[in-house]
Amino acid sequence: MTVLNAKNKEKAGKAFFAAAAVICVIAVAAIFAFLIIKSVPAFGKLGVFEFIFGDNWSSDRLDTYDSPLSGTYGIFTMIFGTFTATIGALLIGGVFGYFTAVFLAFYCPAVPKRIFSSVINLLAGIPSVVYGFFGIVFLLPVLSKIAPNNGSGLLATSIILGIMILPTVVSLSKTSLEAVPRAYYEASVALGANHSETVFRVMTPAAKSGIIASLVLAVGRALGETMAVVMVAGNSPNYPDGLFSSFRVLTANIVMEMGYAGEVQEGALIATGVVLLFFVLLVNLIFGFFSKKAVTASVKKQEKHKITYFNKQIKRIKNCVYSFTHKIGAVKICKGMAIGSGIFSAVALLLIIGFIFVKGLPQIIQKPSIIYGKYEFASENITILPSIVTTLFAVAISLIISIPIGLMTAIFLNEYTKNNNIFIRIIRRGIDILAGVPSIVYGLFGMIAFVPIFGGSSSILAGSLTISIMLLPTIVRSCEESLKSVLKSQREGSFALGAGKLRTIFRIVLPSAMPGILSAIILSMGRVISESAPFLYTMGSVISAIPNSVMDSGASLAVALYRLSGEGWYINEAYATALVLIIIVLALNITAEMLAGKLSKKLKGDNA
Amino acid sequence: MAKTINEKKLTGQSISVKNANLWYGDFQAIKNISVEIPEKKVSAFIGPSGCGKSTFLKCFNRMNDLIPDCRVTGEFKIGETNIYQKIDVNALRRNVGMVFQKPNPFPMSVYDNIAYGPRTFGIHKRSALDQIVETSLKQAAMWNELKDRLNGSALGLSGGQQQRLCIARALAVKPGIILMDEPTSALDPISTGKIEELCEELTKTTTIVIVTHNMQQATRISDKTGFFLLGELVEFGDTDEIFTNPKDVRTERYITGRFG
Repeated sequence: MTVLNAKNKEKAGKAFFAAAAVICVIAVAAIFAFLIIKSVPAFGKLGVFEFIFGDNWSSDRLDTYDSPLSGTYGIFTMIFGTFTATIGALLIGGVFGYFTAVFLAFYCPAVPKRIFSSVINLLAGIPSVVYGFFGIVFLLPVLSKIAPNNGSGLLATSIILGIMILPTVVSLSKTSLEAVPRAYYEASVALGANHSETVFRVMTPAAKSGIIASLVLAVGRALGETMAVVMVAGNSPNYPDGLFSSFRVLTANIVMEMGYAGEVQEGALIATGVVLLFFVLLVNLIFGFFSKKAVTASVKKQEKHKITYFNKQIKRIKNCVYSFTHKIGAVKICKGMAIGSGIFSAVALLLIIGFIFVKGLPQIIQKPSIIYGKYEFASENITILPSIVTTLFAVAISLIISIPIGLMTAIFLNEYTKNNNIFIRIIRRGIDILAGVPSIVYGLFGMIAFVPIFGGSSSILAGSLTISIMLLPTIVRSCEESLKSVLKSQREGSFALGAGKLRTIFRIVLPSAMPGILSAIILSMGRVISESAPFLYTMGSVISAIPNSVMDSGASLAVALYRLSGEGWYINEAYATALVLIIIVLALNITAEMLAGKLSKKLKGDNA
Repeated sequence: MAKTINEKKLTGQSISVKNANLWYGDFQAIKNISVEIPEKKVSAFIGPSGCGKSTFLKCFNRMNDLIPDCRVTGEFKIGETNIYQKIDVNALRRNVGMVFQKPNPFPMSVYDNIAYGPRTFGIHKRSALDQIVETSLKQAAMWNELKDRLNGSALGLSGGQQQRLCIARALAVKPGIILMDEPTSALDPISTGKIEELCEELTKTTTIVIVTHNMQQATRISDKTGFFLLGELVEFGDTDEIFTNPKDVRTERYITGRFG
């Protein structure tokens, strides 16, 4: 009898974990279904070709599906603008990122390298509204000295986006550079090449696929970025015909007009989201191709054809060494670029964080009521206390939803799947797709899926549900990574003692994986606090009173910063808000990093 | 509660295998092996790397179930129970313990490591667990070494201590058989000696099947020896017999060091 019970318990456990995984797939399906259903009428009314290739956008909120149109809806200027800005970002962030990665991997001494690497990770955690805000208060005034306008436009957008993709490029490229076998380095140096020649002629080419993959992923980020771009691009629906001409990207189109959109207009904006989603998924597909290539290439290098590949590599090194005499100048320039980029990235970072600190701290000290003051309607005395409360609600609800589902999905994928059947492949593909969906598209989905359920107006609950889905893929992936890091021998040890799967998972695997899971939780908190695009039209964007229930709407801290910096009257309050945001996010990121380090040390048995 | 499980526990101590075959996908790793392993003796499997001896060993507690695309045919009997019928695998593994090539203590205290098995089977009373921990450590001849650091992390022990702790952990659920998969290959000679002594001591109550790369080890500790080659069990018999008077020429060539 007990045996039967134990068996049923195991079965129930497995079903539970599988159900969580199914929820992830349903989420993907729902996003696509809702977006397509809601955009089909617009595509029908406007014409797919005319919508995508038309280069005139002048929307009319009074347009309905039953009457003739009085506005025109063509998004080609925005498609063009999106790609131009992305290329601009790649020219800045890609180039600096690549050389910074080379600098960190091959030129930087160990201690600064460790500090620098974790600082780069922190840079990735800074909310995009803070980047946008930095653009408004620092970059635009600087650029306006040489610009015919206030400095906004393509150049400002490219710079801000470039800085934003920097961490992605640096950390992924650095990883693949460091994965190049040390033997290549030694072989090249042994043939008489010096350090820089070896780095740029042998090591970097060997890491090519990984570096390209990092650039492609960065392109995906840049295409989907919303708030920072909205804040510095100018946003008029024109082609960007100069460094300082105001232009609009796809994501900005949604943010700019959704707030007051009429029937056809809303359909057209959702259709904009569909087009954006299409491009981003395409880019992610390309990323998948390159990262797969990078993985197989490194496997090839290290295992399969170790000797032949090595010989080939040596031959290449020899050729390189012969050609060095002619091209030493190029290598010197590269070396200069590497060191220069490293310094540039460090300066950019310090500038953003330092600037916000220097400007924000006096505001908080002079007027601490910004943080805890009582909200009064239409008062000059802005307080962000309601936003802090709203943000806390959102963090709590979204983590309660997404952590169990994400963790259980990870457990299912890592502990219950011996082989790669179609079901597993669908789940994995679904999670990959979720990870690629831009945040504004999540916002759109939440607006058309969750907001109507909860009475048709924005609410903390609708916003939190939206961001929960957005958190899922990262939680699943990082939990799976930490489950994977638990040694197989640990599981075998438990099974060999007659323990079942559930007991093994809960007593052996999860405790060992806990540091990784905890840091995933903390990073997710940071993400909820940082995000703004998914909240704008789901949770609300008006700074009002402290919410009484989860059915109230409210602006999260990041959304509040967007509002305050856009209005222009409350720039001091905006500085204070930005500072609060940065401090919270940095504290969370640092905690996550320390926690992971500390616990993994403990697990290694240092305390015995 | 504990009593119901005891009744369900498989209690056999001898192993009888008829016409065993095992495939990993298309690769046949075990080819038609039949063997009778006697109870309360040490039986050793020797043979070159990749000859299937570890794979065969893992059939006895069905650890091969964990490997995708692994297929087993033939009859495996522990005592009177055919273990590839519908049985409770966890009860099987309770009776057939296992010690692995590399020590794999759990990242918890010494005490919790040993109590893990008993707790799995529903023993939670502190006094009962204390008793089991003490007996198991005494059986593994490490009570005196460890009695003052029961609450210290098992990961802080030396490699040899860790492996003996793993043996104690296996003993804590009172198995009838213990499988050892090259248990000393990662250890120094002194720790190896301690584990070999322990094996002999354990045969008073337990059947031991050990896979080893070390022929001296097989001669030192085993009563029976089986020689594996390319998935076949070439010869199985009394250890003295196998090493002094092998029937098969392949066995002779292997033990005299001509290949492997």
